[in-house]
Amino acid sequence: MDVREVKERVFLVLVVILSIAAVLPVFHVFLSVIWNGFGVIMEAGPNFLLDVPPAPNAGLGGIAPSLAGTLLLAVLSSLLGIPLSLFAAIFAVEFPDNPLAKMVRVLSKALLEIPSVVVGMLVYAILVVPMGRFSMLAGSLALAIMMIPYVTTYVEQALEGVPFTYREAGFALGLSRPKVVFEIMVGIARRGILTGMLIGFAKVLGETAPLLFTLGRDRYNIPLGPLDYGDSISLLIFDYAQTPYANMHQVAWGAALVLTVMFLIIFLISRKFTEEVFL
Amino acid sequence: MIEEKGYALQIEGLNVWIRGKHIIKNVGLKVPKRRILAVMGPSGSGKSTLLRAINRLIDLIPESKVEGKVLVYGTDVYSEDPYRVRRLMGMVFQTPNPFPNMSIYENVAIGPKLNRLVRSKDELNELVRWALEKAMLWDEVKGRLDDLPHRLSGGQQQRLCLARALALKPKLLLLDEPTGNVDPVNAVKIEEALRSLLRDLEITIVLVTHTPHQAVRISDYIAFIYMGELVEFGLTDTIALNPRHELTVKFLRGEV
Repeated sequence: MDVREVKERVFLVLVVILSIAAVLPVFHVFLSVIWNGFGVIMEAGPNFLLDVPPAPNAGLGGIAPSLAGTLLLAVLSSLLGIPLSLFAAIFAVEFPDNPLAKMVRVLSKALLEIPSVVVGMLVYAILVVPMGRFSMLAGSLALAIMMIPYVTTYVEQALEGVPFTYREAGFALGLSRPKVVFEIMVGIARRGILTGMLIGFAKVLGETAPLLFTLGRDRYNIPLGPLDYGDSISLLIFDYAQTPYANMHQVAWGAALVLTVMFLIIFLISRKFTEEVFL
Repeated sequence: MIEEKGYALQIEGLNVWIRGKHIIKNVGLKVPKRRILAVMGPSGSGKSTLLRAINRLIDLIPESKVEGKVLVYGTDVYSEDPYRVRRLMGMVFQTPNPFPNMSIYENVAIGPKLNRLVRSKDELNELVRWALEKAMLWDEVKGRLDDLPHRLSGGQQQRLCLARALALKPKLLLLDEPTGNVDPVNAVKIEEALRSLLRDLEITIVLVTHTPHQAVRISDYIAFIYMGELVEFGLTDTIALNPRHELTVKFLRGEV
């Protein structure tokens, strides 16, 4: 074995070890969530999804208000964020030379990495303080702000991926620009666009920091309107993990598993969408 | 330029620049109604650009500039609304490009539907059938109009694109090397379809091709373009038998 071969072996071994090191924590997270959460959910039964949380050292109860809150927040923030993202992306793609469109492009990339706790603070200042109360609306707005750059970037990429020839074909039929965009471009890119929306949806399902000062953490009542206090699974985990009570730790593990399963479902749906793209 | 009666297409003093590059240089020609004009020339000579200058798809290309006049059935293309102008014309592209997300039926129906040219579902069905028949595709697809176009062969897809263009009942049909990416059998079918269009309809055809054989076989007039300049223009028979320009002779022999 000469030196070159030895170097190659060493390199290969190094790459394999480092790859395993990189993936291991992900598996560890999944396994420990399943390991710890599964028993809790089996013990609590279906009531885990239907009941309110327990008092300290008083059984398992359930996470119904937080679960409902998480779902409602994701829907409300999607209603706020997705249309805006869609139009921002169309604007950026359709008018690439417009200064405002260039700004949209740069900002949406920059906002991808904005610290989420800052978004929470912002919404606290502009909505919670003037209204004098926490609310589902404030939480949804914070999540919408988190979601917009993601969805915008994905939709932008989906639209840019549509070959120029379809755009030409649309205009050659005498169609106006809005019709070319909405009937043809969006139609062809629809799977990519849906994937972007799902990823935005999944993103806000797990967010915690934007909700810290906006939502109010009422985890005993299911929110019925946008001005009600609410809770999310992520906040419940955050709070219960810090309590000294064993039963609340257990609820947090069960809640973590519920959240992970929700993620997995969305992940699988979005995979399905991306697989079926054919042009 | 004064409109002369009887001409489907009049081009005068047409110049096109893209990103500062002079692509079409002072081209002028006139084609009577119900004729086929073949625009032939080697790759990169500006044929496709000329075609896109006629229906103003050139507007989509950033930093493009057009000077000169184009009249299509008397309509001054560059002083009218581009969207209205494009509705007078149909276009078929080099690579078949049926909309991949729409069924065969929808591909043909979308033009008339979105341009509000039909009043009822029946009328639309009738039109879709008519266009598919004119494109010589009806018999092959009539049982599966709801299929997506990627199930069709490349040549069938190209005829679907022809039907999509015809559904708007264009006066001028522009074809950008429509048989360039199509097998020989389908190429013959497309050529047949074009000839029968001319027989039955008030339509004029401009066909871009880089093969002199196709130009001679199918057209009434030939425009030979080389490096953006119109080298020779005239009746096909004249140009095929008596080319005046040395470049044309070479191109017909396949030497350019």
